[in-house]
Amino acid sequence: MAINFFTRKSAPATAPPERKAVEVVPGRSGAAKRSQNRAIVALRSARPSKGEAPHEPAERSAYDSDPLRRMLQQRRYAAILDERSRWQAHAEAGRIFAQASEAREQEMALVPAGAVTLSMSLDETNGDQERELEVAPFTIAVHPVTNERFQAFVDAGGYDELDLWPRDIWPHLIEFVDQTNVAAPRYWRQGRHEKRLRDHPVVGVSWYEAAAYARWVGLRLPTEMEWQMSASWRIRSEADLVRRFPWGDAMDRTRCNIWGAGLGGTAPVDAFETGAAPNNVLQLIGNVWEWCDSDFEIVDQENRAVFGEMPMKCVRGGAFDTYFEVQASSSFRSGHVALGRTHNVGFRCGADAP
Amino acid sequence: MSTVTEETPAVGCLICEAPNPPDAAICANCSAPMALIHDSVAQAREPRIISIIGDSNVGKTVYLGMLLDMLARRVGDFEAIPKGAYSVHLQQNVVGHLAARMFPPKTPMEADQWYWAYYQIAYRSKGKAWFDLIMPDMAGEALAAEIDAPRSHGVIRSLLHKCEGAILLVDAAVAAQGSAGPDFFALKLLSYMDNVFAVKRDERVKMPVAVVLCKADCCPVAFDDPRIFAETNLNRLWNICDSRFANVEFFAASSVGSLGYVAHNPQHIVSVPLHAAPRGIVEPFEWILEQL
Repeated sequence: MAINFFTRKSAPATAPPERKAVEVVPGRSGAAKRSQNRAIVALRSARPSKGEAPHEPAERSAYDSDPLRRMLQQRRYAAILDERSRWQAHAEAGRIFAQASEAREQEMALVPAGAVTLSMSLDETNGDQERELEVAPFTIAVHPVTNERFQAFVDAGGYDELDLWPRDIWPHLIEFVDQTNVAAPRYWRQGRHEKRLRDHPVVGVSWYEAAAYARWVGLRLPTEMEWQMSASWRIRSEADLVRRFPWGDAMDRTRCNIWGAGLGGTAPVDAFETGAAPNNVLQLIGNVWEWCDSDFEIVDQENRAVFGEMPMKCVRGGAFDTYFEVQASSSFRSGHVALGRTHNVGFRCGADAP
Repeated sequence: MSTVTEETPAVGCLICEAPNPPDAAICANCSAPMALIHDSVAQAREPRIISIIGDSNVGKTVYLGMLLDMLARRVGDFEAIPKGAYSVHLQQNVVGHLAARMFPPKTPMEADQWYWAYYQIAYRSKGKAWFDLIMPDMAGEALAAEIDAPRSHGVIRSLLHKCEGAILLVDAAVAAQGSAGPDFFALKLLSYMDNVFAVKRDERVKMPVAVVLCKADCCPVAFDDPRIFAETNLNRLWNICDSRFANVEFFAASSVGSLGYVAHNPQHIVSVPLHAAPRGIVEPFEWILEQL
């Protein structure tokens, strides 16, 4: 299957997320401001103001009774393509495979082989605690997973599908509930996301919920090496260049949603286009921290291990409330308790290169 | 050391009003910096005082440092200008430590080693009129000592008597674990303040008090509804607020997004702020200003 190196911005063939038209303006600063302004407008329109109903639940989708068409509707493109042999006899198999293939091409971007340097110390300047690692080619989602996407998982009974969850987490599944005790992300109500935040990244999900969703759609979480490779873009070349940020070496608050950008909350996943990596992957920096499929290991200045109250997984990239710009870079490593379900941690999916 | 003479008129300390020589650096009586009164005279207006109070290790220094830094970075409807370098030391200390993934050292007991912040603040909701504000970083131990032995630390009594609003920090993470410690300390502190203001039994203290459930990153349920959390987990505090304080509101806050730990030895485990993510820091301050 061909995967385009530079992902196109056109909508996927099937069940496209609603996108607003973006006027292309020459000049980086103008485009950056426009992108940020659009994010601000979207955010303000999404936030309930005083006196309004606090939660407007997303409408229920009508899912197709045919299992293959339903998988397409649920945007489980990789799961469809991974199980081609199972669906060969389906009357619409050819059409659906083609749609799934095209949609996956749109949604996943290839990251070529390269290398990353992980700082294993809280003091990032401590060169003695650096790990130099090679990273094989892989694909990574252009956008973080949205509330709307995660809604399909909730609606399909993903929390009850035990095959998606590691056995040792089964006793905790009953804790993965929303504000009304329904199995769903922490900040939802009655198993529904806030309608106005449909294209915002899903938050309030533990590492396990993120991993279960990724498995359900036929993908996985990226490792932290893969995540860093996507953001630092240290591809194999004579120059051996490393980017501090996906767009270059200088922090630019118009290109990402961190505290200094002033939004004060999440933005739609397609905002901040000027902060894209070379392969058009958006929002690696800011908006939400992203769960990675790696245990969080780090030592302090005296080489003593840092531990959490419970096992921790890596989170990368910073979020809308990341206060220090140095903590929202391609190399900054942080961790979160794997069972934590906070307002500023989401995820995106990854996969091996085809 | 210079003394007050007939030739050199005394300058009253802004906090305790004790006379001091004009060239004194700190008040001989309460150890507050005399720069406060000099800056106040230069501005020709009486500064307001808001106190950040709470138990030792509750996070007063981090809260105040983050608040000042956020104000200086023009968060929300605020503009803030520090008056003098001494006002910047606190925020610089806190920001420097958090950025390096450490908590700042404990505030010393002695008032002459506290950080004092003197700021000019403009708040758009108040018509963007500028006013002067003083916020000291009091040591929790000193506060506890004064509560247990009133008038042992006169500067604290003078400060609380003069302040127009108080932000009371309570450790939500410890309270959520079932410890009554935060509840008892808050009860003692508010009882002490009740005495400082010497309000009659059938009246209530009018000074606005923002109760901030801090370290709520370790206890997200506090963010969901701080009032319900306080009523459930801090019942003694809740009751004294209800019966003795006329103007109280509850908030939740955190400065840190994720916390790790390092064992320096089996008995000494140190917290590590893995990344900073201020939440709910400005809201209590904003609420106090709206009450003034």
